[in-house]
This record gives sequence, C-alpha cells and structure tokens, in this order.
Amino acid sequence: MSALPEKLEEILELFEHLPETERREMLISFSENTAQHEPNEGETFDLEDVRKDDECTDEVGVFLNIDDQGGAHFRVKLGPKVQTLTRAMTAILCQGLDGSSPQAVQAVPQDFVPRIVGSELVRLRSQTVYYVLTRMKSACAVYLKRERASQ
Amino acid sequence: MNEKFEAYAHPEVLVDRAWIEEHLDDPNVRIVESNEDILLYDTGHIPGAVHIDWRRDLQDQTVRDYIREEGFAELCRRTGISESTTVVFYGDKSNWWACYAFWVFTLFGHKNLKVLDGGRDHWVAQDGPLTKEVPSYDEAPYPTPPKRRDEEIRAFFADTLAHAKAELPLVDVRSPGEFSGEVTHMPEYPQEGVLRGGHIPGAHSCPWKTAANDDDTFKAREELTEIYQEGLGLKQDDDVVAYCRIGERSSHTWFVLTYLLGFKNVRNYDGSWTEWGNMVGVPIERTNV
Repeated sequence: MSALPEKLEEILELFEHLPETERREMLISFSENTAQHEPNEGETFDLEDVRKDDECTDEVGVFLNIDDQGGAHFRVKLGPKVQTLTRAMTAILCQGLDGSSPQAVQAVPQDFVPRIVGSELVRLRSQTVYYVLTRMKSACAVYLKRERASQ
Repeated sequence: MNEKFEAYAHPEVLVDRAWIEEHLDDPNVRIVESNEDILLYDTGHIPGAVHIDWRRDLQDQTVRDYIREEGFAELCRRTGISESTTVVFYGDKSNWWACYAFWVFTLFGHKNLKVLDGGRDHWVAQDGPLTKEVPSYDEAPYPTPPKRRDEEIRAFFADTLAHAKAELPLVDVRSPGEFSGEVTHMPEYPQEGVLRGGHIPGAHSCPWKTAANDDDTFKAREELTEIYQEGLGLKQDDDVVAYCRIGERSSHTWFVLTYLLGFKNVRNYDGSWTEWGNMVGVPIERTNV
C-alpha cells in the first residue's frame, strides 16, 4: 500500500477511532467547510478543470496551483446537488493533500476512503465519494504532462 | 386545500409547506425524510422529522428483498409511528426515495400516507425551516401486519415476464439512453452496470422526470393526463407494471399513476433492469442508438 501524505494520514487517524455517531458528525462538519476551499475572487491557477460529467450528480470545478517548492494546492467548487459525503471528502482532500507533490497526489490509493468514511456509508448510491480524488489526480496528471511538454 | 392538488384523483396524499407548518407539533403526524444522500438528513431536516434510510431500514440486509412484517412493525415502533399515525414522506432527488418509502409502507398496508410535494429541495428553496436536532419519540404500539402485500403493488421477475408476453402495458421510466441500450447504467452511477442494455420487449419509454416540474413538484393533473393517457395510451383500468434499475424511480411513477391519475392496478417491478438485464435467456429489445 502506498504511503499517504502526512496531513491526510493525520485526518485518517482522527477518523479511524471515532464511534459511528461522532464519525458522522465529523463528516458533516467537513462537508460544511467546503466553501472555505472554493477559489477566491480574482485568484488565478496553474490549471482549471470545471465540468459536469457522468460520474457525479452536479458540476465540479477543480483548481490547482503548484508553489515554488512543487507543492500542490487545490481549490474545489461543487454544484449544489453534490452529495454530502462527496462534499466531506472534498474538504478532507483539500486539507489532507495540501502541499503534497503532484506525483504524491497521483499515488494516493483509494482504499483510505472507507477507513475515513466507514464501510456502512460507502455503498450503492454513495460511490461519488471517490470522485473528487479521481479529478484531483487527473488535474495533477495534466499539469505534469504540460510541464514535461514545456521542457 | 392547495388548488393543484384538488384536481388529482387522490388529493389527500399530497401536502404542501403550509400543511406541514400547521402540523409540525401534531402528535398524530410523523414526518419522515428519506434520501439517496445518506448524510443529508444529518445536515438539517424539517423539525420533528425522523430519518428512514432505504437501504438500512427498508431492505433486508442479506437477501435482495424488503424487510418482513415484524421488521416493519419494529421500524414503526421505534420511530413513534402507530397504525393511526399519518406519515408524511419527503426527500431528495424529487422525492424518489420518499415515494419508494411510501410504496414500502403500502406493501404493509399502512393507511394515511402522504408526500410533501416538491420534496426536500423545494422545501429548502422556499426557505422552509431546518434543524439538526434529532427528535426522540416514545415507542408506539404497532402490531405486526398479517402479511406483506406483494401481490397487489409489486411485480416480481416472473410476473413481469408473463406481463410482457401478454403484451400488457409496461412503463420503462429510465433515461432514453438506458432504454435504447446505448448505456448500461445511469450516467451518475457507473457501478450499477448490467451485462445487457435495452428494455423489456413492448415497454413504453417514459422517463420518471416527465412527471416532475423543474422545481421538483409534481406536474398538474392535465399535464400528467397528456403524458400517460394521451401520450402512452394508458387507461385507468389497465394492468400496468413500471420499472427502472432498482425500483426507486419507478416508485415515483407508481405514485403518479396510482394517486395522481387514479390508476387502479399499477405494480412496481423493483427487481427492474439490474435483475432483467443480468438474467440469462430473457428477451430484450434494443432501439436504434
């Protein structure tokens, strides 16, 4: 299993030992914080990817900046119909992957998701919880491809 | 009563915001939220509403089936619902799961069931009050129903196969792409793929959404008549089977045909395409894509 970025590992440890009720409360709390991770007015990005595609119930915009040390910083804008669990995971990922390299983001394994969310919540009709991670990895892949092409 | 409701065949099954607000403290009314989004209730719900989850509360946890009679009685007892309680359902996705829960309650013969027109999103759009406070109700007495009345409003695979062979009306409420066979899953749910795409031979295509306005409320009676009776040629006395992928969108159509248009014999094939499209040797029709 690939190692998780340190910040994401810390969030994972926070969730893993929570009883179910508190786990849900924590997820709700993260889901309510997604506005904090939206792009600020006038902010510019190295890569912007806004679309509504088949795997999610509403439009999702992923915005990526890479700092001078090569660390990735994501902002994400979610449409109003995106599920609560997906919102929660978005906030977790924005926080947990902040500053990781694009290569490290691409290497994040999906199997950490049920460990945060709990197996009861990852089920039929809640699979979009994986969606934003896929989009973030895709943004990193495009960024790296562009970087390689420009060298 | 709401003027739009008066035109429906059974206007008593619908309520609006004004009705809810008048009954928020009515001990004989239990408001039930039922959603696809598993955490949505926890983010805020109508004051006093309880949460009934389609998967955890209404389905058997092992077999692909619904809870049995004792499980239903237990669910009602713990949510403070007695036999005489009026239960009002609402939820996300234009009331898909509210209609599904209504349908399951009907399987067990509970009377006095209603749906909040427009569901959760419409309530929120109207600035209806929400709370995170989870209510607690005293356990209510609820006798175990004598039987689950599958034969009245539920169609199994064999029933549906016989129905198709007899060329009786079938309504496929999935999206046009699913009906034609172009796609083998709903766009947002790629994990629900099946081995074969298409539809049950002879089925009419009429996506559930045609019965709903953009604000998630049900369309007016005359519009529904135009869609189902004039458009599809269905008659109120027809023996009709509706299906989708797992029976939730077809619950919406079952509700529309039965209560808003007054059809007397509509069944929901809850096995739907995830059963039919995976079954060996059954006939499938595809249309040009």
